[in-house]
Amino acid sequence: MSTITNSTNIFWQECQIGKPDRQKLLNQKGCVVWITGLSGSGKSTLACSLGRELHTRGKLSYVLDGDNLRHGLNKDLGFKPEDRTENIRRTEVAKLFADAGLICVASLISPYRRDRDACRAMLPDANFIEVFMNMPLQLCEARDPKGLYKLARSGKIKGFTGIDDPYEPPLNCEIEIKQENGVCPTPTAMAGQVVSYLENKGFLRS
Amino acid sequence: MTGTGTATVGAESFFPPLRLQTTSHIPKLGFLKLNRSLISLRSLQIKASDSSNQLRLNVAHDLTLSNSNGNSNGNATGSGTTNLKHLSTIGNSTNIQWHSCSVQKDDRHSLLHQKGCVIWITGLSGSGKSTIACALSRILHQRGKLTYVLDGDNIRHGLNKDLGFKAQDRAENIRRIGEVAKLFADAGVICIASLISPYRRDRDACRSMLPNGDFIEVFMDVPLHVCEARDPKGLYKLARAGKIKGFTGIDDPYETPIHSEIVLKHGEPCASPVEMAEKIVVYLENKGYLHA
Repeated sequence: MSTITNSTNIFWQECQIGKPDRQKLLNQKGCVVWITGLSGSGKSTLACSLGRELHTRGKLSYVLDGDNLRHGLNKDLGFKPEDRTENIRRTEVAKLFADAGLICVASLISPYRRDRDACRAMLPDANFIEVFMNMPLQLCEARDPKGLYKLARSGKIKGFTGIDDPYEPPLNCEIEIKQENGVCPTPTAMAGQVVSYLENKGFLRS
Repeated sequence: MTGTGTATVGAESFFPPLRLQTTSHIPKLGFLKLNRSLISLRSLQIKASDSSNQLRLNVAHDLTLSNSNGNSNGNATGSGTTNLKHLSTIGNSTNIQWHSCSVQKDDRHSLLHQKGCVIWITGLSGSGKSTIACALSRILHQRGKLTYVLDGDNIRHGLNKDLGFKAQDRAENIRRIGEVAKLFADAGVICIASLISPYRRDRDACRSMLPNGDFIEVFMDVPLHVCEARDPKGLYKLARAGKIKGFTGIDDPYETPIHSEIVLKHGEPCASPVEMAEKIVVYLENKGYLHA
């Protein structure tokens, strides 16, 4: 019996069917592909094209998009620093998906290094693959797909990442997506880069 | 979002409300089906149909667009025509936009040869929830089906470690597990949630998160004295000695389900864990969850 923070008198329940069994069933290894970057850097685009590429290879993946999570599990959270931290902490759900054998693609700005590193620490066995969408702020702002930079610049949104809230770039990410000679890779090319990594590291077989 | 707005939908897209439901927070009148989306309406006034055979709907209060999987696709603007790409506010999250992907739920069903759903096992401590959850996952795994067990205690080791056992914490525990289970079901997984979940309102709130039929409530109908005699974790003894307060069944209520899909009653014939789990498997088979 244990006490974990506020939950007292709880027991870990073991089940006969574990991760190795599920991985064998799915012919893949569960992991978390964590896509981080500024708003408009292409995280959701990459997440979706990666999901599509994996699906055509018969692999089960699931996209946890930051905005989508804020429609449900995290709808009680705002954008203050402590809420951002809790938003990332609750992405512990990605760990559950990885344990279930899925390739979980998490797509969130996740601006603070400490929070991303805490997620990495949750996942053992190098099953956390950090993908940094290294796109310049001016490019993201020029795209402004949701009109948020415009709102931020006019002061209608406060604490917007990149404008008046910091983005701390990763120091040791597994994959970096950036422009080549000023040209952005296509969604398919970006997804291909991630799929190659997953293949080389053995995640696409059990 | 609250406000008024108008939405123009093709007459051929209009159906009578598919279901009427209420949640503890958001009363809804029903749904319109628009292509693959369900629009939940709070109030609706049909103004007129114009010459192009379209209905103009005057929608008061919230207009929430949901896809057929019950996920929210964002909110309409306060006035003017519906803009499906508009930013929305959900709870405390402002300026967010639902992102759809080209790989949909049906694609995952085809890949896995099953349909995702949530099997919600509720009952007193010691009623056998975790035992049934594990037996069920084993049987389904042997049949080549992908399941995942969300056990109340296990989730309290991680995602919900910030929550205690006060009423509001129990409600938040259930809410979060419901949301996670919904994600698993959307991913195509047969998600088995095993937790006391003593309050009817909280279980019903989870039911309303999922499309009709995808929330399968299993009630472990075991008398308190049987659970207490088992006392697998020694908790009833601690509760009776006053060392645990607010323990379900002793000094906190358990509200029996009224409309469970499956009731597993103690003392009936065929009452071993495997036999009970098989009843659930038969249900899933009959409802089509064990094929694409």
